[in-house]
Amino acid sequence: MRRRSSLPVTFLVPTLAILLVLSMVPTLYAIVIALQNRELSSSDYSWVWLSNFIDLFLDRRFLNAVWVSVKWEIVTVVATMVVAIGLGVLMFEVASPRLRNIYCLLFIIPVLLPRVSAAFVWKFAYHPLYGIATYPYRLITGGLIFDPLSKPSTALFAVASVDVWQWGLFFAVIVLKLLETLPPQPIEAARLDHARRWQIHAYVTLPMLKAPLISLMFVKMIESLRSFDLIYVMTRGGPGVATETLDMYAFSQGFIESGKVSYASAMAVLMMIATVITFTMLWKRVQA
Amino acid sequence: MSAIVCSHVDKSYGATTVIHDLNLSIEEHEFVVFLGPSGCGKSTLLRMLAGLEDISGGEVSIGGRVVNDLEPGDRGIAMVFQNYALYPHMTIFDNIAFGLKRQKVPAAEIQKRVEAVARTLGLEPYLARKPTELSGGQQQRVAIARAMIKTPKVFLFDEPLSNLDAKLRNHMRVEIARLHQSLKTTTVYVTHDQLEAMTLANRIVLLKDGVIEQIGSPAEIYRQPGNLFVAGFIGTPNMNFIDVAVGRKDDRWALTGAGTTFSFEGSGFDLRGVDRAVLGVRPPDLKTADAGDSTNLLQGTADLIEFHGNDALVTFACGGKEVSALVPARECPALRAPVRYTFEEESIHLFDATSGVSLRRQEKLS
Repeated sequence: MRRRSSLPVTFLVPTLAILLVLSMVPTLYAIVIALQNRELSSSDYSWVWLSNFIDLFLDRRFLNAVWVSVKWEIVTVVATMVVAIGLGVLMFEVASPRLRNIYCLLFIIPVLLPRVSAAFVWKFAYHPLYGIATYPYRLITGGLIFDPLSKPSTALFAVASVDVWQWGLFFAVIVLKLLETLPPQPIEAARLDHARRWQIHAYVTLPMLKAPLISLMFVKMIESLRSFDLIYVMTRGGPGVATETLDMYAFSQGFIESGKVSYASAMAVLMMIATVITFTMLWKRVQA
Repeated sequence: MSAIVCSHVDKSYGATTVIHDLNLSIEEHEFVVFLGPSGCGKSTLLRMLAGLEDISGGEVSIGGRVVNDLEPGDRGIAMVFQNYALYPHMTIFDNIAFGLKRQKVPAAEIQKRVEAVARTLGLEPYLARKPTELSGGQQQRVAIARAMIKTPKVFLFDEPLSNLDAKLRNHMRVEIARLHQSLKTTTVYVTHDQLEAMTLANRIVLLKDGVIEQIGSPAEIYRQPGNLFVAGFIGTPNMNFIDVAVGRKDDRWALTGAGTTFSFEGSGFDLRGVDRAVLGVRPPDLKTADAGDSTNLLQGTADLIEFHGNDALVTFACGGKEVSALVPARECPALRAPVRYTFEEESIHLFDATSGVSLRRQEKLS
């Protein structure tokens, strides 16, 4: 008995220890650095405590990055869920089982692409002269140039669409599979109750799937926070600072423009605190 | 006017035909039960009436209107499902009111009608609860309320009591019967339970492999089964069947089988030209034979005795054939004791051995 009960401990303790070291050490180190004034160019440093944080709140570029991050989060999460639910329901309603399988296979491919590859593919697709995504515009307007990635008003949406292309289609497959797991009788009862097709989904199936759909949304919210690679490849935060999210700005402050590692760390710490608070609050709300 | 008419209705899934050329007409205010073993197509037929399954061929009309291409909601029907099919995320009130809301009935009227229906079915205390907080019987009552509130022309019940335990099933059966008595709505009820069929139905439609085997009142179906399948399916305990050879002796029919010869006047049956038949006797029709009885005897050694309360079911082998007799418990023999049973000519059933069709002479229509 004793040997059997010690087995989980044997497996869990090293793993948890490694995980703890890997996650806690960098976090604590980041907090420590954020309270100093380290720069990449020299090894001298002193403790400046909260001055990095105070500087951040006076930094207009930082405030812009916060706004861009919030916008990015909202746009990608909402668009992904809308696309996923819309396409999922559409497939459920009109596609035959065989066709559904083919669509599912097709819709999973984008998310299997590494982000960087997807970003490059779409960067070419958005090319103003040769891109396939801008081709219809050139065709209609008779050759006018449209460069979505270099216009501040469209750049964020152009990058976000790639994110939605990857995750919205994948989530559509999940929504379809969720719909397929539902018992058919409530849907049939709703048909007898004079509900139209869209009403059946609005009032019966989607509310029945509330819990898994919210979980999906949380997954996407967390995933949207890691948008660095996509934005880095497609716009590098540009044009100007139009797509500069917090992680982009932290990266450029820390490693590209000025090497202010402490300043960047302060941003990372703020982001972590904000994320933890936001998600805790949202989670509590959903659970209630 | 008939409430429901099915004419030449077919249903097939690909190459498999589930229902073939079915003709049926159901009168207004009637309580019709579709009865049959699993897979006989009774639920499919009901779902075709409801519009949840396409009709492959033929025509279905409800209330004089062909409904083949109508949406389920537009057919003037309401359905109660086996597993209740309540909307799990809505309160009982919203469950009942859902259909009315979709029809844009004013909120005040919805409130009034839901309350009225809830009062009829004793659901008032539960209106604010969710379906999962209710017992199976209460949930089924909600499903009935949801069907009732639409004041449909036809009620469809798809094995509504199968998910309930025996006691609750009896209770709900009585409630459904009462409900039909007071509402008088035409009802089609699907079940595989013959007790439900016998107690509830005005008419039973007995189905097998998508074909109607017999239509009739419960008494007709029990007393005059049209063929071997109906005779074997209806009645618990099951009817005894004995293969017999048909002959004439002393101006009477002599049926030889199970190691003995039965002698009948046979006026109720048309046995001319038949040489092999199946003799059917229901276990309750077997009576303990007196010492003086010498004809129509079934005898053997009791090898199984099942106690049913008032009665006991005695099973014995008679000429290699297993035969059961339902006798009053006080007449019950001991296990392994020799038993002798006899029966009246009026209680027998005779079927053609090859076609299985009853050889009963068709009574003249008055």
